[in-house]
Amino acid sequence: MLRVIAACGNGMGSSQIIKMKIEKVFKKLNIAVKIEHTSVGIAKNQAPSYDVVFCSDSFVSTFDAAAARGTIIIGLKNLLSEQEIEEKIVKQIVNK
Amino acid sequence: MEFLLSMWGFFQANILTKPAFFVGFIVFLGYILLRKPLYEAFAGFIKATVGYLILNIAAGGLVVTFRPILAALKDRFNLEAAVIDPYFGQAAAQAAIENVGRSFSMMMQVLLVAFAFNLVLVIFRKITKVRTVFITGHIMVQQSATALWMVIFCFPALQDTGIVWMLGLLLGTYWAVSSNLTVEATQDLTDGGGFAIGHQQMFGVWLTSKIAPKIGNMGGKKSKTLDEIQLPGFLSIFSDNVVATGTLMLLFFGIIMSILGPDLMATIDTKYTVGNSFFFYVLEKSLTFSVYLAILQLGVRMFVSELTESFQGISSRLLPGSMPAVDCAATYGFGNPNAVTVGFLFGALGQFIAILGLVVFKSPVLIITGFVPVFFDNATFAVFANKRGGLRAAVIITFCAGIIQVLGGAFAASFFQTAQFGGWHGNFDWATVWPVIGVLMKNLQYVGVGIAIIALLAIPQLQYFKNKAHYFQIAEDYDAYKEAVGKE
Repeated sequence: MLRVIAACGNGMGSSQIIKMKIEKVFKKLNIAVKIEHTSVGIAKNQAPSYDVVFCSDSFVSTFDAAAARGTIIIGLKNLLSEQEIEEKIVKQIVNK
Repeated sequence: MEFLLSMWGFFQANILTKPAFFVGFIVFLGYILLRKPLYEAFAGFIKATVGYLILNIAAGGLVVTFRPILAALKDRFNLEAAVIDPYFGQAAAQAAIENVGRSFSMMMQVLLVAFAFNLVLVIFRKITKVRTVFITGHIMVQQSATALWMVIFCFPALQDTGIVWMLGLLLGTYWAVSSNLTVEATQDLTDGGGFAIGHQQMFGVWLTSKIAPKIGNMGGKKSKTLDEIQLPGFLSIFSDNVVATGTLMLLFFGIIMSILGPDLMATIDTKYTVGNSFFFYVLEKSLTFSVYLAILQLGVRMFVSELTESFQGISSRLLPGSMPAVDCAATYGFGNPNAVTVGFLFGALGQFIAILGLVVFKSPVLIITGFVPVFFDNATFAVFANKRGGLRAAVIITFCAGIIQVLGGAFAASFFQTAQFGGWHGNFDWATVWPVIGVLMKNLQYVGVGIAIIALLAIPQLQYFKNKAHYFQIAEDYDAYKEAVGKE
C-alpha cells in the first residue's frame, strides 16, 4: 500500500482535484494507495512519513528536505491531466 | 396524511434546519444514489456531520476571539473592523444570520439549488451559451454563506423558501457565467488544459486578460518577464499558509492591540490582567486566529471533499461535454513559480497602502488583510498577467487589485454590516461585482435581483456574439481550435 499525500496552497481546492485524479490513475494502473490531501505547510512536515507527494510544479522545491530522505515528489503542470499524471507515475514510481 | 405531516415536521425541525445533520443527510443520500454500500453511506454521514460541527466550533471561536478587540476599537476610536478573508467572511455571515434568528441551514439549500441551476444552464447551452460547471465545493459553501446574509439583509421579511429559490437562481447564474468568462484566458494560459476557473475572482481574471497586454506594451517598450528576475529566498516561507496567516495576524493585531494598549484590553478582555506580559498576550491572541482558521479549514475539508466528489461525478456523468470550473490554484503550475510570490507581494503592498489610506481618511471601518484574497487572488492575477503582459503587468495589476480588495471590502463590510462580526469575504469579485448586486437588491428589491440575473445572463451572449465560429470549439477541442485559427 503506497501512502500518498496531495498538497496545495491551502489544502482545500486544488489538492482535492489532484486527489480525485490520481486516485483514478492509480486504480487504472492497479496500484493500491491511500491518499490524503492537505496544505503545503502541513504536508511539508508530514512528507517524510509518506511514500509520495503530489503537488503543483511551483511547490516542488518546498519538499526538498523530504525528497532528500527518500520521499518521491511529483510536481504537476496540469493538475487535471490524467495523461500527465500517468506518465509521471510510470516514470517516477513504476520504473524507478 | 397526519402521519406524513408530522414526519415532515420532524424532518424540518431536526434535519432541514440543522445544518450539520442536513449536510450529513445530503452526503448519505448521495452515496445511496450512487449505489455505494450502506456502511460507506454511514461513514460519509459521520464524516460530513463531524466536519460541519468542527467548522461550527471554529467559526464561533473566530468571532469570540475577535469580540474584545472589536469592542475596544469601538470604545476608543468609534471604529469597526473586518478581516477580508472568505473564512472570516463565512464566520461573520453565519454570526449575522443567527443573530437575526434565521437558520444557517439555508446555506446548504441555496448551494444545492445554485449547483442544480448551473447544470440547467449548461444543459441548455445552445441557448444560454454557458460552457462551465462550478465544482469547487469549499468556495460554494463560503459564497452561499455570504450571499445568504446579503439576501436576508436586503429582504428581512422574505420567508425561507423564497430566499432559497431566489438566491439559488442568482448564485447559480453567477457561478455559471463568471466561470464561463474565464474559459478563453485559461485555455490560452494552459494550452488547452481543459478547465476554467471556479473561485472568487473570475471577473478579475477576465479583466486581467484584457488589460495585461496593453500594460505589457506601454510606451512601446516590451516588459521584462518573470523568468529574468531572482527573488530573495526568505519569501518562500510565505507559501506555507500557516506561516503566512500567522504572520499577517501578528502584524495587524499586534499593531492594533499595541495602539489600544494594555489598560483598555484589561478592562475589556477577561483573558488579560494588568501585570502579565502584554507582549505574550498579544502574541497568543494574534496566533489564536490562525488556530481557529486551521480548525475551520479542517472542518470544511472534511465535509466538502464528500460534496466535491459527488458534484464532479454528477457533472461528468450528466454533462460529458461540459468544462469543470475549479480552484484558481490549478493555474499556478502553468506560470513561472515567481508569479505566485510576486502577486502576493504586490497585492499585499496595494492592500497595506489602501489600509493606511483608510486610517488617514478616517474611514469608519478598518480593514485587516486576510490570507486568502491577498495570496490566491493576486497570485492568480500575476500568473495571467505575466503570460500576457510580462512582469510590468503582473506588478501593476496585482498592486491595483490589492487596493480594490481593501476599498471594496471596506464598503461591503460597512454596508452589509458584517463588520459587527469582524469579517467580509474580500476576494476580488466580492469587492466589486457582489457589492454592486447587493446595493441593487437593497434599493430596488426584486427588480434589483432581476436586473442582476439578466445582466449576468447577457455576458455569455456577448462573448458568443464576438466569437461565433469558435466559441464552443475553444472549450471542447483546443487543438482543433488552434488549427482553425492558425489557418485563418
